[in-house]
Amino acid sequence: MLKVQEIRELIKLIDESSIDEFKYESDGTKVNLKKQVGGGQVVQSVVERNDAVVQEKPAPKVANEEEKPQPKTTPEEKSEEEKSVSADYDKEITSPMVGTFYRSPAPDKDPYVQVGDNVKADSVVCIVEAMKLFNEIEAEVNGEIVEILVEDGELVEYGQPLFRVKSK
Amino acid sequence: MESTRKRLITLLAKKKDEYISGQKLSDELNISRAAIWKQMKSLENEGYQIEAVSRKGYRIVRFPERMSVNTIQWNLKTDWLGQNMHFEEQVDSTQTVAHQLAREGAEHGTVIVADEQLKGRGRLHRPWHSQKGSGIWMSIILRPDIEPHRAPQLTLASAVAITKMLKFLTGVQPKIKWPNDIFVGDRKLAGILTEMQAEQDLIEYVIIGIGLNVNLDQKAVPDDLQDVATSIQLETGKAWKREELIQELLYQMESIYELFLQQGFSSIKQAWEQDAYRLGETITVKARRKEWEATLIGIHEDGALIVEDENQSKSVLYSAEIDWKKGE
Repeated sequence: MLKVQEIRELIKLIDESSIDEFKYESDGTKVNLKKQVGGGQVVQSVVERNDAVVQEKPAPKVANEEEKPQPKTTPEEKSEEEKSVSADYDKEITSPMVGTFYRSPAPDKDPYVQVGDNVKADSVVCIVEAMKLFNEIEAEVNGEIVEILVEDGELVEYGQPLFRVKSK
Repeated sequence: MESTRKRLITLLAKKKDEYISGQKLSDELNISRAAIWKQMKSLENEGYQIEAVSRKGYRIVRFPERMSVNTIQWNLKTDWLGQNMHFEEQVDSTQTVAHQLAREGAEHGTVIVADEQLKGRGRLHRPWHSQKGSGIWMSIILRPDIEPHRAPQLTLASAVAITKMLKFLTGVQPKIKWPNDIFVGDRKLAGILTEMQAEQDLIEYVIIGIGLNVNLDQKAVPDDLQDVATSIQLETGKAWKREELIQELLYQMESIYELFLQQGFSSIKQAWEQDAYRLGETITVKARRKEWEATLIGIHEDGALIVEDENQSKSVLYSAEIDWKKGE
């Protein structure tokens, strides 16, 4: 299984290289990275992995897809992919730790943000809890929330994208 | 002003039964005798009972029941933790005050203590019963230079500090319920609520909130908490001076925190596991999609909980609800 860091490294290396297409397969994990010739953009990349934080198993095989709607792919190549596909967002807010994602300060409270809300760099957008530490995540960018990628109460991994933001 | 007063109390407290002349105090503190007299009046307002005898001087006859920054700090042996201290008679929550102070730039080690909280809270804003004068309701602002994902370990380090203080001063034998509660038997004595402001790779500040039941007698425990909560008084049969507990707690916290920074969490792991609640016993783990029974094995090098299911398969848990109820 590839780590997020390793994939991140791969994308960077390939992006800077003259390689147009890169395929990798090991233990049921497939990575397929492709650049547009001359454009230097990654148009396709899919890695499927187990989403459990608690336990990890090698993921089954995967087919290439144009776009995956689920926020399960690893963060970096997903964002690369999306960047070239649409201009709906240009920033992602990612999780600084393994933990549980909460959209509101308490179960009976309203969510911090909804799709369409404008946020400032210091706006709290969610909480990630690990070992009962409640980390209020700030947007770190001024813009509009265009997509919320994780459901309330879901486990998230280090570096996993939580929100997509169109910066202003 | 603050420090002059603190030095005055220290001087008087050192010579408990002797009188110290106004002249001597005036020389030591480098303020006028009239200023000394003013200070004495303000100490009296704070609840100190001061005896002034002409040609002999002053002495403290009784320390105040009421807590104040002075009473907490006068015997505080820390280098930095709590040297900047705020005391409030009544607040909604010390956590709220701490967040505000931290945002305004309060220094590392700032401590906020309240005599009473109106909206004391646990995690997910669950209320924490914090009656006037009956417990330690305290928040600590830290600015550690560590990665944000290591911050939860500070909760476990704080739990170890609380158990050390309890064992050393009160003789109570506490257990740590992963990750943030202190139990005696099967009742909760204290809770820790850690909150953080961080960017991806940088901690702006961490606030460690501690609620510790001290002088709650049976009558003072609300009905709905009778079976689940306890206090030091209930466990030991006597009332305790909160200042002494706070001073020892901050002292323990400071040394454990420094150990943690220098040697990492593994240096605290053993002390934590030594007092772990229900270690080796069966508990129920409730993750988002499944629920299973497992044996509590211990904690990982990074503080995560390790459990083992009936097939000897181990899991490392960072975020899961544990059902601690004992099986039928």
